[in-house]
Amino acid sequence: MTALLNDFLKAMDQIVLEATSMQSDQLRLIQGESAWSTLLFPELRKSVLVNVDDRVPFLNDFLHDARIVWSGNTNRKVKSGLFTEDLPDGKEIHLEATAIKQDSHCFLLIANQSEEFTFRQNTLQAAREMLLSNDRLIEQNEYLHNRLIHILKDPLDNNQLQRAISGVIEKAEFGVFITDPDFTHIVENTAATNIFEQPINPSSAPQSPLKIVLTLLKNQLPEFERVVMSKSTWDGELCWMAPPTTVKWLKVSMHPVKNDLNEIKQWIIFVNDISTVKHLVQRNEQLALQDMLTELPNRYSFWQTLEQQITNQTSFYLLYVDINEFRKYNEFYGHDEGDNLLREVGQRIRRSIKNYDFVARIGGDQYAVILTDMQNESDCQKAISRLIAVLSAPFSVENGQRFNITVSIGAVNYPKDAQSVAELMRFVDLSAHNNKNKKQTYIQFYNTELKAESHRAIELENELRMAIMAGEFELYFQPIIDLAEDRIVKAEGLIRWNHPQKGLISPDTFIPIAEKSELIITLGKWIISRACQVAQELADKNHDIKVSMNLSPSQVYDEDLYNYLCACITKYNVDPKRLEIEVTEGVLVENYTNTDILLNKIRDYGLTVSVDDFGTGYSSLSYLKKLPIDYLKIDRSFVQDIATDENDKAIVKAVIGMAHNLNLKVIAEGVETTEQLDFLIDNDCNSVQGYLFSRPVKLESFIELLNSKTLSTKF
Amino acid sequence: MIQKKICLLGASSVGKTSLIRQFVDGIFNERYLTTIGVKVDKKLVEVNGQQIQFILWDIEGNDRYNLFQERYLRGAAAYIVVVDQTRMSSFLDGMNIQSLAQGAVTCPSVLAINKSDLTQNWPMPEEDIENNKRSFDFHFNTSAKTGDNVELMFERLAEHFLGEDE
Repeated sequence: MTALLNDFLKAMDQIVLEATSMQSDQLRLIQGESAWSTLLFPELRKSVLVNVDDRVPFLNDFLHDARIVWSGNTNRKVKSGLFTEDLPDGKEIHLEATAIKQDSHCFLLIANQSEEFTFRQNTLQAAREMLLSNDRLIEQNEYLHNRLIHILKDPLDNNQLQRAISGVIEKAEFGVFITDPDFTHIVENTAATNIFEQPINPSSAPQSPLKIVLTLLKNQLPEFERVVMSKSTWDGELCWMAPPTTVKWLKVSMHPVKNDLNEIKQWIIFVNDISTVKHLVQRNEQLALQDMLTELPNRYSFWQTLEQQITNQTSFYLLYVDINEFRKYNEFYGHDEGDNLLREVGQRIRRSIKNYDFVARIGGDQYAVILTDMQNESDCQKAISRLIAVLSAPFSVENGQRFNITVSIGAVNYPKDAQSVAELMRFVDLSAHNNKNKKQTYIQFYNTELKAESHRAIELENELRMAIMAGEFELYFQPIIDLAEDRIVKAEGLIRWNHPQKGLISPDTFIPIAEKSELIITLGKWIISRACQVAQELADKNHDIKVSMNLSPSQVYDEDLYNYLCACITKYNVDPKRLEIEVTEGVLVENYTNTDILLNKIRDYGLTVSVDDFGTGYSSLSYLKKLPIDYLKIDRSFVQDIATDENDKAIVKAVIGMAHNLNLKVIAEGVETTEQLDFLIDNDCNSVQGYLFSRPVKLESFIELLNSKTLSTKF
Repeated sequence: MIQKKICLLGASSVGKTSLIRQFVDGIFNERYLTTIGVKVDKKLVEVNGQQIQFILWDIEGNDRYNLFQERYLRGAAAYIVVVDQTRMSSFLDGMNIQSLAQGAVTCPSVLAINKSDLTQNWPMPEEDIENNKRSFDFHFNTSAKTGDNVELMFERLAEHFLGEDE
């Protein structure tokens, strides 16, 4: 039996040692022998006792872990992980040790793992070379993108642009094109020319590199039209084939450069030749069809599957799942946690669908799902509900923090809605991107009305842009009355659109469009400038009035905001103490770090800060304690029923009490009746605002209000 | 003779093995060969007339395929976090490793900004880089290829240990 066991261990290239005592580094050989063991422990030639000492430092260190196992009362084992030792003959040996506690025995198994080592090294060598290439690509692309955006912000004509940019892009190891809004060539670098070097073909003239890229984008990217129309960024892989010999895999990204009016000034297109990386991936056939991060099928695999489904001519639903505001999670929790989120979302989608259904990661934060065996839309709806249920459960980051995500889902049916890969993709993409509220999970089945709606939104955006250029906006002012002083102390500036044909348009109509199209930044700047101008005008007229202005979420993200605000204050020579910034509770919570930094700077400069619509969102005391704020504005929805609704009474009382404890003052919005006012006075509210005193009015009317001193809380 | 265990940590392909090969054997190989598991090397140095033996733990790089294992740091007299100055992500990974290592051991830490023979490509503010350097007890710009500052880094460590023992 012993001989048999010895032969077995020999075949396995392992030796088994047993501890002689808990403290000693000396172990006894029980079974097994090999060339490497006697080279590593020469004493084994004469004795069965082995000293696991400084000669084998890794093993010596592992004895600490081994002793923990051996001294326990239960049977268990622990592995050392792979390690490499130099043998006296100059060769290396790759080993792994396992400490085993079995009944009263304390064993140390040492195994030659050279085969496992070689296998892992080959696999990881390719994988790490790939990671390295990817890292380099991403870093170089990001770096150049930032530099180019910086340069392109300056108003330059195409000739000046060519000169300014040529030097910067020429050194790049990848292709760079800068085009005008219509994709007409402005400048490209030598790398771009080299990537698209074409085999000599006497029968046809070579195509320009830019034309090749644009053709690839149009032919291989069904979303291309949507990306261009919505002025979005896109990146992904395209394949360029130039018969007879050229096949190249390209990682292409396109970035719009926009002006203040959200118009495209230029497009930046990066083209990276990733054929080598692809080759590495294709060494392993499975990897070629797999997304490296999530280990789900990739875009290429999805494409093949979708084509196969169409060939089968059986009905199916295609879903497009997009994580809303993924960038926000990525920035807040870091890229590693962002990657974890992408993996987890992929796994959850996989778990929620049937085994024979298909899910792939087809873009940065986008997944595609093919659902077969669906009798009708109601079946598909049920499948989507299961998917949403799994994605609605909280996600957690390494430090234990939990958060929730929302997704936008588009759905399209083959053959009812579309019959080709390109059309299916275009329609499902349009459906998912129809979501106007990125804070909520959204499902949209494709219908022909969607196309018309997307065109209408573009028209509205154009109208808004024209309105900005034509100066059709006006700032109205609503008084805020201090209850202790019984006078107007502040005016909230509220934007209105005087449409030449449609009359006065409410901000509820145009602000969402402005937010979506990024025109909000330009509008926001106009409000800041006008508020500063008015604050100084009121000061010149000897009115001791502060002017407050609302900041949109996008403005908080705008790096230029603080400098712009300071520039306006200087331009109009206004005392910053006469200005106030209003941010909503949602902005504070969602973008805590940015907001905290920005608001601190703003307050240091002398402005005050108030939290608008308080109570509608998160009501998190912890944020209030941390953030640099001066006022809370209780949302009108609570004020509306304070005279009659006991719950609202309790809420408003609690908010006032809590705010005062935190040394914050309280403004009640939407005060319309004397009953509401009485309640607020009785409960020590500091200020009030609402139709009971005045609607938002034009500046001239507001000045009249100030002059007449008719506004009072004493009814 | 004093023996000191030094662990080399960092993202994959930053040059941990190359630094050890340069220090121990004075050689450099352009070809990247990924380390699997752990390989321990020894090098005897003499500083101020005193001998000190470095036990150098070359630990497989940390990435999505291999997570940081604090048990390898047990008994370390110091650890060196190696980053690649041509790759921003390796710097961020290195800082992450530093915070994990600081949570595991209290021994001195060294930041080796390797590949100093190549152009630095860290598009981040100098101030942020400097702030991160401050979380280390020593930092060196090294080149495993040219040998720049490699010996010096270990010499400084040796001096530090000898100073400690006095």
